Amino acid sequence: MILNNLGSSLKESLRKLARSNKIDKRTAEELVKDIQRALLQADINVKLVMKLSNNIKKKAIKEEVIEGFDAREHISRVVYEELANILGRGIDLELKGQTIMMVGLQGSGKTTTTAKLAKYFQRKGLMPVVICADTFRPGAYEQLSQLCNANSIPFYGEKGNKDAVEIVKNGLKEKKEYDVKIIDTTGRHALEKELIAEMEDIDKALDPEHKFLVMDAAIGQEAEEQARAFGESIGITGVIITKLDGTAKGGGALSAVSETDSGIAFIGTGEKVDDIERFDPEGFISRLVGMGDLKALMERVEESITPEDMGVEEVLKGKFTLKEMYKQFQAINKIGPLKQVIQMIPFGGFGVDITDKDYNMTKNKLERYKVIMNSMTDFELENPSVLNGSRIRRVAVGSGSDTNEVKELIRYYRMMKKALGALKGGKITGMPKNLMKMFGRQV
Amino acid sequence: MFKSLRDKFASFKHSIGKAVHKKEEAEGIEVSSATTTEEVANISASLSIDEKKTKKEKVGLKDKAKALIIERETILGEEDLAGPLWELEISLMEGNVALPVAEEIVSNVREELIGKKKRIFSNTDKIVEDVLKDSIKDVIKNDGPPFDEIISTGDKPVVILFVGVNGTGKTTTIAKVAKRLTDNGYSVVIASGDTYRAGAQEQIETHAERLGLRLIKHQYGADPSAVIYDAVEHAKAKGKDVVLADTAGRMHTDSNLMRELQKIKRINSPRLTIFVDEAIAGNDAVERAKQFNESIGIDGSILSKLDADARGGAAISIPYVTGKPIFFFGVGQRYEDLIVFDEDWLLGKIFGEE
Repeated sequence: MILNNLGSSLKESLRKLARSNKIDKRTAEELVKDIQRALLQADINVKLVMKLSNNIKKKAIKEEVIEGFDAREHISRVVYEELANILGRGIDLELKGQTIMMVGLQGSGKTTTTAKLAKYFQRKGLMPVVICADTFRPGAYEQLSQLCNANSIPFYGEKGNKDAVEIVKNGLKEKKEYDVKIIDTTGRHALEKELIAEMEDIDKALDPEHKFLVMDAAIGQEAEEQARAFGESIGITGVIITKLDGTAKGGGALSAVSETDSGIAFIGTGEKVDDIERFDPEGFISRLVGMGDLKALMERVEESITPEDMGVEEVLKGKFTLKEMYKQFQAINKIGPLKQVIQMIPFGGFGVDITDKDYNMTKNKLERYKVIMNSMTDFELENPSVLNGSRIRRVAVGSGSDTNEVKELIRYYRMMKKALGALKGGKITGMPKNLMKMFGRQV
Repeated sequence: MFKSLRDKFASFKHSIGKAVHKKEEAEGIEVSSATTTEEVANISASLSIDEKKTKKEKVGLKDKAKALIIERETILGEEDLAGPLWELEISLMEGNVALPVAEEIVSNVREELIGKKKRIFSNTDKIVEDVLKDSIKDVIKNDGPPFDEIISTGDKPVVILFVGVNGTGKTTTIAKVAKRLTDNGYSVVIASGDTYRAGAQEQIETHAERLGLRLIKHQYGADPSAVIYDAVEHAKAKGKDVVLADTAGRMHTDSNLMRELQKIKRINSPRLTIFVDEAIAGNDAVERAKQFNESIGIDGSILSKLDADARGGAAISIPYVTGKPIFFFGVGQRYEDLIVFDEDWLLGKIFGEE
């Protein structure tokens, strides 16, 4: 994720600061150099970095260290405040009828993002339609129509028609009844004058509420100039950063935000149509400083899970068998990739740096547990206590696992049961209200 | 293209020039006041710093003293260079060179420049440019055979596998390479190995039709190894010279998809595995090139989208981390927009006039 590694390089630099409440100039300068390096490695624009680091230097030295904080904490606060500034404001995206135009460089992920965005509006209960105005790239029409078909998204396109403006006009007329219209356009870069002119023509014909600039998280220092050209040509209302599931940090896309004076609207985190998230700078910063992003987690939970999914009724009645646990495993999968879920939990998954390997292991473990449970009878699932040695052997053979794995599952179940018992008894206090709601307690 | 790097290097040369000038002035004053003890103290102080900071420092006290006192040449020390070198590092990164690579270049330049004797009035710019050029050349040098030679000498059919992350331009690049090969008189067959992404098959099919080439494809969801295998069999049966195999774009962090590539490679043993990336990528270019190289092994790269006003830093970074050559640059949307890469061409672009 953007700046995630920045977090660790910053921590490294901050470690150099003595735990005193004075910051001497030399230390501050050293630190600023480290910060500059870290920001540049994240592809943040050089000019932005210089501005940012100057502010940090000024603030770190000038501002009084607040009582109760040491120098390290003071500087961290200053650094994160400045980072929050370059992330820009949040984008107001009302959930109502509107037209959205997608623009960007070749290969930045416009078409995939178009489908993802339509799916997002569908989940929110609106009726989106997608119009394909990419008349240039071979296969663009098929790509979008296949994506739409596979995900039940209404689609409009005219194969063979090279006039993008005409297609858009026809599409808007034809698909009047839909409330959100998303237009995918040809990929282009700032120096392709004809294509830039075409984009302006579409903009004029369409007069969209939103013009989203789609940016690859891996883009480097060119981002600034490209974004400026798009901004000057049609005006950009929001930036979408794609491909954040790799190792790219998205710093280049941040310069697009500052160049177009907009903010990050969405981030793309995978190849599937559901891999899109609304971006909220506050939540992001709090995730960065290890406070988690409960708001995003809650949104996810509310979108995808009903109390029935979690077996809430039964759990509230004090009933928690393997059946309920199975339901909960499935519910977790519905929220989204485990990795994203854990990142949203406060303190970055309880203060531990969890690696991709660990995520995969946990994910695989849950899958294995489900397979094992599939080999149990209903009676066993309802009454886990009957699982004796011979039943465990049978389940192990039936699920292609071994008895240790089955025993491990049973141990895990007992632990969960105990934890839920404690929760119900009100022994765990101080849990955030939202989190309680997640476990189905009405508050 | 490369304009930014060119400008930055000019400014670096200038600031080194300034450092030299300042040093000369400072020494002038020292001579007039004729305080030899101070000078010796200066020399030993700068030397101890040098020793601490760079082990490879080759200039001994004798050389320095000789140059300083007897020959009246200027020797650049660590402290003279700190500022300009930091500027150079920033400029490299501004030119999209990845951090570890920028650091390597800067440290080469530092090593070369420190202790460099410089006769007063000789051309500082020239010295600095040479050092910088050599350092970059060091980073991008490669002794492997050029692409055309590999094709002409390879056993037919020569199988070329194209890999890379999503949206870097693999499919378009294949079309360009196909065009180049057919223009050179080779017969080409294309394997539609991207059976995953929506529209991928139609995209490459259109290119194949336009170029009048045979395309081997299966359905979406088919095993890409099998598609490519069929294409290779077809090429063998029909006596085709080259098989160009497309694959689905994938994130280097997705271990399952990387394993799929390993399988494709194992089954089809391509003569060349080419990593396609875009010239506009920043620091991540290094990370993914490294990971693709480590997990499947690549023989070279092609950089696309250089026409998007790219600064070309990736052209320096990628050969550095992979140790493999860049074969071509993609510079536009037309099939002809493919440029053969060589070091001198790149250096000429960076240091030349235009």
